[in-house]
Amino acid sequence: MVDFSWTPRSPLEKALVTGAHGARGIEAGVSLTEIRNFDLVQVMARRGKAADMAKAAKACFGVAPPDAPKALQTPDATLIWSGPDQFFVLSKGGKHAMDTLAPALSGSASLSDQSHARALISVSGIQARAMLAKLSSIDLHAASFPIGAAAATSMDHTSVTLWRGADREDGLPAFNLLMFATFAESLWHTMLDSAGEYGVTISHSEDFA
Amino acid sequence: MRIVCPFCGERELGEFTYLGDAKPVRPVAGASEDEVFDYVYLRDNVAGATSEYWYHGGGCRAWLKVSRNTLTHEISAVEPAAGAGAAKVGA
Ligand SMILES: [Zn+2]
Repeated sequence: MVDFSWTPRSPLEKALVTGAHGARGIEAGVSLTEIRNFDLVQVMARRGKAADMAKAAKACFGVAPPDAPKALQTPDATLIWSGPDQFFVLSKGGKHAMDTLAPALSGSASLSDQSHARALISVSGIQARAMLAKLSSIDLHAASFPIGAAAATSMDHTSVTLWRGADREDGLPAFNLLMFATFAESLWHTMLDSAGEYGVTISHSEDFA
Repeated sequence: MRIVCPFCGERELGEFTYLGDAKPVRPVAGASEDEVFDYVYLRDNVAGATSEYWYHGGGCRAWLKVSRNTLTHEISAVEPAAGAGAAKVGA
């Protein structure tokens, strides 16, 4: 009998090197922080059951899930629109993980655990918009993409879920990017290339930004 | 060319994939060979208003029905295809 042990590892474990990257001698304009060890569940309404799903979700989270491209912050989870009648539940610490959500939601929705299938990167700083503008055709101007705005879109031909989180403590904007784990390394290098000229601070964190 | 996804808003063409003509209707079981051949292989080459299926695979992953003029590329309507989103379809 062989014993297997499964150790979760970040898909960016090799590619991500913490510290400074790109232009030096200036204050870094972009911060890239990979968020590790999160719980992520995709919830998709069963046919004809979208209203039931919204009701069941409201009982779980205290708010109805977003029915348009938006991200809703609750005290212990982020609900992110990912398409018509579907959303992600992003959280930490197991409170809204698969085994807790499935009993409450599986009657009206199909659930799929994506915790280890995606990478989550926070892009923030004074040049975050300039850097993302090279990769995305979404208008990220503060007036068009306010805090809580979200988009299911593509960057560098790669599907991503993008949403604007709360501003950083210093008032600078912060965007979140959720991508397929197997594409994360490729997109990471593209992101480093587009951020390089602004000076980059690279880190990873166990906590949400 | 840009398509206004009814779920996501206006997006660049690169996020979409073209499937084809939305007009052909699957023949009933027991239809003649000619009808099936027509459905599977024969397409009109329309110069003007057409209706097409597009897939927003680089976005919300919904199937869309797009009314487009092949002469001008003008898009007059975009609606969810049958089955896009659980709420859009009856129980
Ligand atoms: Zn869409």
